[in-house]
Amino acid sequence: MKQPCKNNKKQLVIGGLLSLLLGVMIVTGTVQSSRLLPVLPNKPLVFPKDYGAHPDFRIEWWYITGWLDTEDEKKLGFQVTFFRYQTELNIDNPSQFAAKNLIIAHLALSDPTQGRLIQSEKIAREAFDLAYSKQGNTNVKLDDWFLVRDDNGIYKVDMRTDDLGLQLSLQATQKMMLQGDQGFSRKGPKPEQASYYYSEPHLNVTGTVFRKQRSVKVNGVAWLDHEWSTAYLDTDGDGWDWTGLNLDDGSTLMMFQIRGKKGDRIWAYAALRDASGNMKFFQPDEIEFTPIRTWKSPHTEAIYPVEMRIRTGNIEWQLIPLMDDQELDSQQSTGAVYWEGAVTLMRDDKTVGRGYLELTGYAKSLTL
Amino acid sequence: MNSMRLFRWLLIGEWRKHIGQALVTLLAIAIGVAMGFSIHLLNSAAFNEFSAASKSLSGQSDLLVRAKTTLMDEAIYPQLAAFEGVAVANPVLELDVAIPGKQHNRNDYKLKVIGIDMFRAAQIAPDLLGLPEEGKVMDRLADDTIFLSPAAMTWLAVKEGDHLPLQAGLQQLTLRVAGGLVRARSGQRIAVMDIGAAQWRLQHLGKLSRVELKLKDGLNHEVFKSKLSKFLGESYTIVELENQETRVANMSRAYRVNLNMLALVALFTGSFLVFSTQALSVSRRRSQFALLRVLGFARHQLLWQVVIEGIVLGVLGSLLGVLLGYVIAITVIEFFGGSLGSSFFPGIKPEIYYDAVAAWVFFAVGLTVTLLGSLVPALEAARAKPALALKSGNQNAIMKKLAIPWFAVACLFLAGILTQLPALNGLPVFGYLAIALLLIGGIALMPYWTTWFFAFISNVTKRSGINVVEFLSLARLTNAPNQASIALGGILASFSLMVAMAIMVTSFRVSVDQWLERVLPADLYVRTAAVGDQGGFDLTTQQAIAALPVFSQADFFRAQQVLFDSNRPEVMLFARPIDRSDPRNTLPINSDGHEVISLDSLAENTMPIWVSEAMVDLYDYQVGKHVVLPIGDESHDFKVVGVWRDYGRQFGAVQMQLDDYQRITGDTSVNTVALWLQSAVSQEQAIEALRQLPFGTELEISRSSDLRTISLEIFDRSFAVTYLLELVAVIIGLSGVAASFSAQMLTRMKEFGMLRHIGMKKREILMMLAAEGGLLTGLGILFGFLLGWGISLILIFIVNPQSFHWTMQIHFPLSWLLIMATLMIATAAGTALLAGRRAISGHVIQTVREDW
Amino acid sequence: MSPNMLELRNISKGYAPGKRLLDHLTYTLKAGEYVAVMGESGVGKSTLLNLIAGLDTPDSGEVLINGTAISSMSDDAATQLRRELFGFIFQAFHILPHLTLHQNVALPLLLNGQSLQRVEEMLDQVGLQGRGRDFPHQLSGGELQRVAIARALIHRPKLILADEPTGNLDPDTAQEILELIRTEIKSNGASAIIVTHSHMAAATADRILNLSKDGLHPMST
Repeated sequence: MKQPCKNNKKQLVIGGLLSLLLGVMIVTGTVQSSRLLPVLPNKPLVFPKDYGAHPDFRIEWWYITGWLDTEDEKKLGFQVTFFRYQTELNIDNPSQFAAKNLIIAHLALSDPTQGRLIQSEKIAREAFDLAYSKQGNTNVKLDDWFLVRDDNGIYKVDMRTDDLGLQLSLQATQKMMLQGDQGFSRKGPKPEQASYYYSEPHLNVTGTVFRKQRSVKVNGVAWLDHEWSTAYLDTDGDGWDWTGLNLDDGSTLMMFQIRGKKGDRIWAYAALRDASGNMKFFQPDEIEFTPIRTWKSPHTEAIYPVEMRIRTGNIEWQLIPLMDDQELDSQQSTGAVYWEGAVTLMRDDKTVGRGYLELTGYAKSLTL
Repeated sequence: MNSMRLFRWLLIGEWRKHIGQALVTLLAIAIGVAMGFSIHLLNSAAFNEFSAASKSLSGQSDLLVRAKTTLMDEAIYPQLAAFEGVAVANPVLELDVAIPGKQHNRNDYKLKVIGIDMFRAAQIAPDLLGLPEEGKVMDRLADDTIFLSPAAMTWLAVKEGDHLPLQAGLQQLTLRVAGGLVRARSGQRIAVMDIGAAQWRLQHLGKLSRVELKLKDGLNHEVFKSKLSKFLGESYTIVELENQETRVANMSRAYRVNLNMLALVALFTGSFLVFSTQALSVSRRRSQFALLRVLGFARHQLLWQVVIEGIVLGVLGSLLGVLLGYVIAITVIEFFGGSLGSSFFPGIKPEIYYDAVAAWVFFAVGLTVTLLGSLVPALEAARAKPALALKSGNQNAIMKKLAIPWFAVACLFLAGILTQLPALNGLPVFGYLAIALLLIGGIALMPYWTTWFFAFISNVTKRSGINVVEFLSLARLTNAPNQASIALGGILASFSLMVAMAIMVTSFRVSVDQWLERVLPADLYVRTAAVGDQGGFDLTTQQAIAALPVFSQADFFRAQQVLFDSNRPEVMLFARPIDRSDPRNTLPINSDGHEVISLDSLAENTMPIWVSEAMVDLYDYQVGKHVVLPIGDESHDFKVVGVWRDYGRQFGAVQMQLDDYQRITGDTSVNTVALWLQSAVSQEQAIEALRQLPFGTELEISRSSDLRTISLEIFDRSFAVTYLLELVAVIIGLSGVAASFSAQMLTRMKEFGMLRHIGMKKREILMMLAAEGGLLTGLGILFGFLLGWGISLILIFIVNPQSFHWTMQIHFPLSWLLIMATLMIATAAGTALLAGRRAISGHVIQTVREDW
Repeated sequence: MSPNMLELRNISKGYAPGKRLLDHLTYTLKAGEYVAVMGESGVGKSTLLNLIAGLDTPDSGEVLINGTAISSMSDDAATQLRRELFGFIFQAFHILPHLTLHQNVALPLLLNGQSLQRVEEMLDQVGLQGRGRDFPHQLSGGELQRVAIARALIHRPKLILADEPTGNLDPDTAQEILELIRTEIKSNGASAIIVTHSHMAAATADRILNLSKDGLHPMST
């Protein structure tokens, strides 16, 4: 579950790109569409077909986060996202330009030497061959940005702008991780509040990071989520805390909680897979997110619990951010503000793994 | 400085005594400057707003790609988007869509609808993104929504949430007004839709108007352009923003320049007024100046004295003029909009900004003109020999210097040469220079003409006996021609220009009227509110109309715009059935100076085209030339076989056979159907029959008589401001006459005193003055006619063809000119009488005494 | 025809209340008489001439020309009388610059609708033989005054009014002009009043009168 936080309604953005998408997610979240398919349990995912796009569902994304080591031995975090969004408009419009599906892509780099996120984003309608999400295998494109999975299971990412870019090759080292009940992942108390969701943790990354005039070779470890759904978030939802972690011993931890508007918790999920592939799911009462340290954004004045103690059953972990300022503040273009950052996983004061933490819904009291 | 104080005393003394004259001069300068400045402000405001508005539509793009025809295939878009070096490609479909219920206003019933891909436009022209109701962002992509600029909402009387009906060809559609375009320019009437929705709902699937490109940083634009144009080939044009601006500028440039010229004419006339009042004031003060010289005033001090008077008048007048011009411009914009009656700048509401540079320029022009007007009298005053000047008598000498005949002859000769020169940079600069020289030369010749003319009249009347009034008036006009012609200068200038404009406008109007008769031969013309370059009538509807029994003949026209040159506005291409045996039956062929090639002499596969005069001027499409035209998706060879007169499109138009067009494009739709009635059928019956067709209510049916009326109305409206300027010039001219008459009264007081002594009655003196004024004005008018006729020839045969690329035949508005002449003579005689009241006051009796 | 060319009957004229220029003035000029009027500046000499010429009206009293009261005539009637009976000679000549000498001299004839044939003869008489086609600016002051004299006498007027006719001339020329005036007046049988400051000029008249606050009286020598 990797979508950005809900739109803050107080933000009135004229040139909105992502806000378009974000704005409708809450609204349509509870409305069942007759045209779109619901997410139902007991419908096992089929591969390679389910690597590809699912245009009959409202929203879908491929979301890659990871840690990179540069050739000069510096640490970087990166995040690459491709969304597909079904507008439910222009159903009968025969125009090639008819805005039936939108493709949105997002690229962010966490570089401690910079002190804050460097990011870029794009949005386009699926039209001609300029932007598409193909069925059958992962193959998403937006102008010259693309994410494609070849027949050997290797993902290729190429996203470049004038001053920021990634060209990565990601190869699975483990088998995929079906979240929830064989990929049926619930998000709330109602059964239709769910998505199809699989992750590909421990992806081995090689490639190049482009920054302004120079480029640097990198390698590292990444995590890919692919998720698709029609109805999603409970209207009482206020935001969520999510983390996906590749442990050094080859095990994998994913957990999230959905916070309610009244300060309560609406839903929680955690799964730990060991190196040999044994999955352990935790009950909501076994899952805990406890803020240790907060960071107040100088940009938005939002307060994020950037350092967390998390608990899965009887294991206590600690999340330490690569840097504090990993706030994704795109008020000028998308209106979305959340925290999406590279974190180190500690257990008993020892680093045991790396991953990403996503904190949404904290910037809601923001006034412009 | 003491001499400055003396200057001041003399100046104030002079003006205190003749405040009226000083005021008239001041006003004349002010009016001249004000006209020029306000026209400049209005034109530049309208032009800037128009170009800003059209620029705002393409935002921050570096280049744009368009087809030579109005629309292009969308397939080029992904190719452009992926083209090396392109950062953003923004596809646009821009259509003028008819609003049902607004059709009665032929020039103002279409709404500019811009179809955009908001995600692309956001990076190039973010101002075009509509602002939907809160929480309804998806309305921007919907296929049933439209966003309107505030001006469009006002014009259409709709608000957010309302439904807006549009007419696309024979179909009506209704869109929901989903929000506003808050960043549209004030007065800009535009609408925005999603491009996919626009293609579908406005029936332009697969079509784009243009693709705007933003290039990657640091790219060499020239290299990119040449690569791209190689890739695109013949059918597409790459337009830079400068091209676009040039094109917009070219659209109205000739019109704007012509208006500015007219404003200058007002100023020019004003300068004659300055000259005549200054000359007379100098002549009146000859003895005063002589006295000053005797008292030790240096020659240059005297020169300065007069020049400073000119400077003060010029500074005050020009300052007043600039202020007045600014006020006029604001008032006109407020109450009449910025288009000055022309249709060059539709759909905008310009704002006047204070243009400091232009204000200075007009101020300087006003001052210069005033100085020039005072310089000759000043030199004359300084040059006069004090001893001679102290004696009464000969005041004629002062003007003698002006009347060097070789100067006048040289002016006229040069004017003649200038008329032979071609346009400079598309503007009839030499034509206007020739007009100015003709005026100057004519006015300089005036004293000679006056002497000759009145001497001739005296001789004629001598034989038939003469009374003292006639004798004195004629003697004065014959023997003091310079004084007379000073008064005449202004009236001659303004009247001849009025005559010239009147002849030109009449010739134009009559030619347009006759032309309309030629180009609208049918009884009814039927159109649909077609959008973009669509024909509007497909084959089925064409057949349905042609099959109606009420019509004896139906001709079908296909018209569309084609871009020949990215710096110039589009050329109109007409495809219609043209009479093969004699194209004259279909087209207003202009065979004067243009060959006409017979269709029989053409080779089998040669397609003929007939071009408008503008095509010959702008694109050198001479008869007999083989040309390649981008028609349909590719280019084809044609031969120019004739030239036709077109007053409708100054940027060029081409006519071709409809079957040629349909064969090469496969496009069988047409825009207009011309219908001839069966002899027994009335127009009402025919219209009724058309209305009964299934698509009948959507048809736009015009009677040819209505079209003619409307066209002539538009013609008159666009010349309204011209009439106004003429009027101003004439008023300035007449006030010049008034001012110089009243100035002359003062110099002639002793004459009147003497005449009263030796037994001339008051009435006789008044009659003498009226006769002088009337005769003088009569002569001015006579020469004004001559000069005006000459100028009108330049306007008709040089300025018009060079600015607007059309020729016309000359026609004289005789009765109108006679009325104007009579009115002016009456006004002048009346003015003279009014000024003459002083001549019969008791005071004149005293003026004969020297010992006062 | 009355033997009296001009009768001033008890005329008074003032331009400001309580300040009379002429006070109950009475005088009679016989036909053929040539008188000079002298007096200090501002005593009313010009006013007197204007009253005589009907160019101004007296506050009281009558001015009779040939027995007709010009002072009570309408402006037009007075003008008509003036054009027929009067001839004027001015200090500043007042020759119209845009007319030839011939035309200037012919003006009174034109005004009276008479034939112009006497003009050349008249120019001969004043010593400007053959110069009829010249324009005034070609002439000297003395010559201009000769033209003026010709103009004053061309229509055989009964009464010549000359206002300081030699004021703008040098003494030699003045002498010539005065003799010419006298000769012409006498040969035409006209009456004349010459207003002057110059004793030399006054001396050419038959009689010299002095205008003062007390009235018009013969000059006491």
